[in-house]
Amino acid sequence: MIEVDDLSILGLSLEVALMATFAILPIGVGLAWFLAGWRGHGRVVVESILTLPLVLPPTAIGIVLLTLLSKNNAFGRAIARAGIDIMFTWRAAVLASAVMSLPLLVRSARTAFEEIDPRLLGIARTLGDGPWRVFRRVALPLAWRGIVAGALLSFCRALGEFGATILVGGNIPGRTQTLALAIFHRSQTGRDGDALRLVAIVCFVALAAVYATERLARRRHAPPSAT
Amino acid sequence: MIDLSIRLALQPFTLELELALAGRVTAVLGPSGCGKTSLLEIIAGLRRRAEGRVTLDGAVFLDSQRRIHLPPERRQIGYVPQEPALFPHLDVGGNVRYGLRSASAESNRSVAETMDLLEIGALVARYPQTLSGGEAQRVALARALITRPRVLLLDEPLAALDAELRHRILPYLMRVRDEAKIPMIYVTHHVGEALALADEAVVMRAGRVEATGPVRYVLTPKLVSSVRGDATFENIVHGVVTAIDVDAGTARLAPHVAPSDESGSPPPTLTVPTGHGLRVGSHATYRVASEDVLLLRGSPAGISARNVFSARVTGIETLRTDVLVRLEASALEWRALVTAAAVRELAIAPGGELFVAIKTHSLERLG
Repeated sequence: MIEVDDLSILGLSLEVALMATFAILPIGVGLAWFLAGWRGHGRVVVESILTLPLVLPPTAIGIVLLTLLSKNNAFGRAIARAGIDIMFTWRAAVLASAVMSLPLLVRSARTAFEEIDPRLLGIARTLGDGPWRVFRRVALPLAWRGIVAGALLSFCRALGEFGATILVGGNIPGRTQTLALAIFHRSQTGRDGDALRLVAIVCFVALAAVYATERLARRRHAPPSAT
Repeated sequence: MIDLSIRLALQPFTLELELALAGRVTAVLGPSGCGKTSLLEIIAGLRRRAEGRVTLDGAVFLDSQRRIHLPPERRQIGYVPQEPALFPHLDVGGNVRYGLRSASAESNRSVAETMDLLEIGALVARYPQTLSGGEAQRVALARALITRPRVLLLDEPLAALDAELRHRILPYLMRVRDEAKIPMIYVTHHVGEALALADEAVVMRAGRVEATGPVRYVLTPKLVSSVRGDATFENIVHGVVTAIDVDAGTARLAPHVAPSDESGSPPPTLTVPTGHGLRVGSHATYRVASEDVLLLRGSPAGISARNVFSARVTGIETLRTDVLVRLEASALEWRALVTAAAVRELAIAPGGELFVAIKTHSLERLG
């Protein structure tokens, strides 16, 4: 029996995860394209830093974000002066999810860009296209499956984000309480049955997204149909 | 006219070239890995680390001292790499039109003309994965031609193809040379292709120029055998078809000679195998390997070879175990590869008169 409460939690979670995913798409794809073409020594350093959210405890990222947004430093004060309220609002949940899922998008998109035959990019240049047009006309059409697969993975990661979200967003029902937080909250308050229902919902959504990712990844090497 | 003076560190040598290329078609020959592809990529602007100076008809492409590196998209060159590298997400039409900036009536006509020239009109809706090697190569060539490049860079465009396909595409390249009149730099392993297409040749070895100049002077047997590692050498005959005998499957070819040599008697016509698309009056190019050119002491009576004519020996060169004999017959130059024993028995020496015999089917059509 799904009650209205469950649905609104699901709705908020989907909203947060989708917003986080769309927010990181341009940044992540741009970073991936830049990294794929970078031959310099600094590449490994930048890639390592970008991977940190994948390997650090999410609470560590949460603390870093809290510190950054705090009014004790210039960045936090600038944000506050601009009238943007982040901490303990839905924006905090989006921000935390975005930071945590960015590495997945970058990795997937970067691999997709690296799989493109570099000669195609060179040929496109000789045919009169500048770097931006080559990106738009050759790189994006050839890498879109990898990009979408990465975005789906990021979406799943955002949907499951807990540690960083609870630190910067709190656990406010109807505002920042996403599926992951609600499961924790219900289990803590002895409502295991209610928690399990949410687990079933999140399983279903995540499974659908991962299935779509796998399908995309599998078709990446197949030629497009000749019609 | 391309002027270049470039330096690029490669493994295991440094590419260092000084060249002034003025030919309609310049053939670049050399063993694998001697830097031929790098040379094309530097001209195309795809090697950012190259140092030196490259100009095309006075336009500066690269001048590392003045920190000029014109990006590839502003060089107006057409580059056809060794493998066609077609865009897999676009059909043939999309590939050919890739470099067009706008669709006008004129550009549509030029696309149609180019696709006709290369006989790929029927493939317009096909995707690259479904094309044969020869078809893909022609699409890549059309894609480069359609932008009206100031120079066409071809990197062994025929290397990946079998002999049959090679002989079908070479005529297209000749038509591009003669009809589109776009200068070409043509990287190849194949001396026959170089002689058939180019008027100028550059021979490279380990990143340096070994020889450069008019193709007939540069591609000496010694040089060719040193580059290719074998001693075969080809005779190339350009000419006009004067008659066709359909039943016999043969044609008569009147060879061209250099304008300066026209004063003498015209060279004898040759009997050659006829082929696809050959008509009376059409221009054709044939090749015959030097080992298929037979030398005879006296006029032979009763010989199956259809091409027999007298010639004067102009030079003798020993290549390892064999001897390459150079002959002249009515201003046409011939090269025959024979054994040292044959040279002794026939007493072949410069200035001597001999008869040359070539079987019809030793003559292979190039285009």
